[in-house]
Amino acid sequence: MLPNIHKALREISKSSDFVQTTITVQGKLLHFSYYASLINHEQFHHDLLSFIQTTNCEIENLDDLKALIPIEEIKASSDLKQISLSLTKGSIFLQIDPHLNEGLVVNIADLQLGLRTNNDTENEYSVIGPKVGFVENIDTNMNLLRKGLVSEKLIFEEHTIGSVSKTRVAIAYLEGITNPQHVNTVRQRLLDLDFEVIFDSSFLDQIIADNSNTLFPLLISTERVDRIKYSLISGQVAILSNGSPYVLSGPTTLFDFLISPEDYYLPWILGSFFRLIRYFGVAFSILATSFYVAILTFHYTVIPKELLSPIIESRINVPFLPLLEVLFLEITIELLREAGSRLPTKVGQTLGIVGGIVLGQAAVQAALTSNILLIIVSLSALASFTTPIFKMSNTIRFLRFPLIVLASFWGGLGIMIGIMFILGHLMRLKSLGSPYLVPLFPFRYKDYSDSFIRSSFTLTSNRNKYLRPILTKRYSLQEGKDIGDDYNNE
Amino acid sequence: MQNRVKENYTISGSFVFFLIGVSQTPGIVLNFQSLALRDAGQDAWISIILMGLSLHFIIWMIYKMLGYPAKDVIDVHRTIFGNFIGNTVSLLLVGYYFILALFVFRNYIEIIQVWVFPTLKTWVVGGVLICIIYYAVSGGFRILTGYSFFGVLAPTVLIFALYFPIRQGNLNNLLPVFNHSFLDLLKASKSSSFIFFGIETLLIYFPFLKLPEKNVKWAHFALLFTTFKHTSVIIVTLMYFSQGLLKHSLWPTLGMTKIIELSFIERFEYLFIFMWLTVIIPAICIPIWCCTRIMKRVAKLKPRLSLPFLLAILFIAALMFNERIKIDAFEKFLIEMGFYFIFVYIPFLFIIYVIRAKIGLKRK
Repeated sequence: MLPNIHKALREISKSSDFVQTTITVQGKLLHFSYYASLINHEQFHHDLLSFIQTTNCEIENLDDLKALIPIEEIKASSDLKQISLSLTKGSIFLQIDPHLNEGLVVNIADLQLGLRTNNDTENEYSVIGPKVGFVENIDTNMNLLRKGLVSEKLIFEEHTIGSVSKTRVAIAYLEGITNPQHVNTVRQRLLDLDFEVIFDSSFLDQIIADNSNTLFPLLISTERVDRIKYSLISGQVAILSNGSPYVLSGPTTLFDFLISPEDYYLPWILGSFFRLIRYFGVAFSILATSFYVAILTFHYTVIPKELLSPIIESRINVPFLPLLEVLFLEITIELLREAGSRLPTKVGQTLGIVGGIVLGQAAVQAALTSNILLIIVSLSALASFTTPIFKMSNTIRFLRFPLIVLASFWGGLGIMIGIMFILGHLMRLKSLGSPYLVPLFPFRYKDYSDSFIRSSFTLTSNRNKYLRPILTKRYSLQEGKDIGDDYNNE
Repeated sequence: MQNRVKENYTISGSFVFFLIGVSQTPGIVLNFQSLALRDAGQDAWISIILMGLSLHFIIWMIYKMLGYPAKDVIDVHRTIFGNFIGNTVSLLLVGYYFILALFVFRNYIEIIQVWVFPTLKTWVVGGVLICIIYYAVSGGFRILTGYSFFGVLAPTVLIFALYFPIRQGNLNNLLPVFNHSFLDLLKASKSSSFIFFGIETLLIYFPFLKLPEKNVKWAHFALLFTTFKHTSVIIVTLMYFSQGLLKHSLWPTLGMTKIIELSFIERFEYLFIFMWLTVIIPAICIPIWCCTRIMKRVAKLKPRLSLPFLLAILFIAALMFNERIKIDAFEKFLIEMGFYFIFVYIPFLFIIYVIRAKIGLKRK
């Protein structure tokens, strides 16, 4: 004897938002089971009930009913497990006779409820360029990508991941351009995954990354639509996850994290210049304070004599070792940043001013730190925020601490040893199976047109080779429109 | 015949440029100029060129001997001497590569102690370096190649530092040219030959190169580049120092960089010494890696065991050479050994190999 589904559902769900009602239509009782918190009530009343109640046709069996309801996602089912799963996703279960085991599963989930519909890319701001960002709803995100890449080659491959959250995760790629090996790697790693709740795409990032014991982000996570479009056309794979406004893309290299979409909206000379500034910012941010510690602790002979007197003057009253002085200020800055990101925007701004200006000035006057150090620390904090991807700027801010400690132990030798460790680590890292430090190592000179600098569009007509795309050519070159080859203007 | 090295562990054949290039670099900061000067006077630079050019033959021999199909010297030993003696000879090579690594390692520690941290103990510097060497070697051969890449790039920037001593130098110091006998020049070549050592590690990592025979030009380019670097350094040194002073200098190159003064940095040699770590690490790691490779191939000893063991001995051995006199004697020993290894043993092996190959062909 099969269990009665209608009763069984009642048993399964003790939740108070689980509703089972009956409605009389043409003298027949229709039985509904659904979660009131999940379904779209407007759709329920307008598209479902009104059609059923106003119909003149005879409703004899489920097929008649199925033909009546103008909703796409509708199917007959008698599998208890499947039905209860659909119900928890926002479907309605509809039965004519509660003693029969078959009924209709109608999907009228409210997808927009509680979600924002637009996002202004506040966290990855750019002055020029589109400001549309991804939102929490995966369908909206897919729609945004489809609108931008109008091609049947854009493929979304959806999987359900998370034993409790049942999150919809989509792999996006361009067929015929992206190397299928990358897609296979991503798919395999996603399918092997066993996790309960995927709160955000960064969970996926951490779990499917090649190395979980690394400071460096191995996949780009961005809320900018233009950035993901660019990743897709250059032959990367994107991973969208429902409930997260951040979309992942990979395989990446270290240098991808220093590329801002804005580079491409500016003339290439300016774009390249700003990109180089960013590289300088990263180097400065990691090394400046550790240089300060190394030089003032061990190698004070390195300072030219003209520079010596201002440094001595500013440090003359400071009673601490350079290491303590630097750690004190660096940790202050970290506290300010952490507090600033936890507080509401307006309070955060005030705190920044109080903390940054007042504290800094007071610390110098109280002879806890020197003026010069204050300049260096605030500059390096500033420089760490030039990195376009937030995850990378976190990494960069962290990296300086081991270097400061090493510098206080062994001066310049310590810094070099730290750098060699980082270098070795970077060379070992892989992102979705491809090396993290290309095109620097392994050396690919052909890919230099768009890595350290952003060359003009006449030089970037081919995709970067290190992503091993199937189709290399991006676009064909046009004749130059400037004076070019004819100097006589004829 | 050994199993082929797996495709994803091999490196592009052109990377031999960086591997050879970095192995031959660390000697620049040592006293090769003064050693060459003792025999050849102001003509010492000719000796360096002679040495560089003669090594092209050695590279040619190595590529002939190990190519078609790619194999390493362990296979060659086995085919020539039979399994047992061949393996024994291969194991002797472990000692040679180890000494090569020890030489670079100990000398760098000494430079750190003399120039930067006079009070820092040998075991501290050694211990820190051992850590990073362990990390580098355990990453495998590809990582070493990466380190070599940066190890060639970084000191190439430092070449521009030669501008300052050139400005102070005196061209007359090089004159008269060719007033030493050819024998003297050869003697000088031999006594300063250690700056070219490291090329013989090619004997072990050869099968890790993709299409090595096609990329033989890169090995020659590397050697040409090294010869150019060493020659320009020695010419500048001869111009900058008087012969009497140079004879007693232990680190002439560092002495020259000392005079560089920029508006934001003085004591440029600090920067030089620290940057030099990028050269030192691959130059130590490659021979150590060769040791672990031989031990794996011959004695079936896993690198996971042999590497800590080797590094422990490296550390202890570095502590043993605690005086300048011992290091000096060690240098002399290394020069003798390396010179005969490269210029006698490799040609000897090559000739026997060619003869055996000829006989083998006739039998067929």
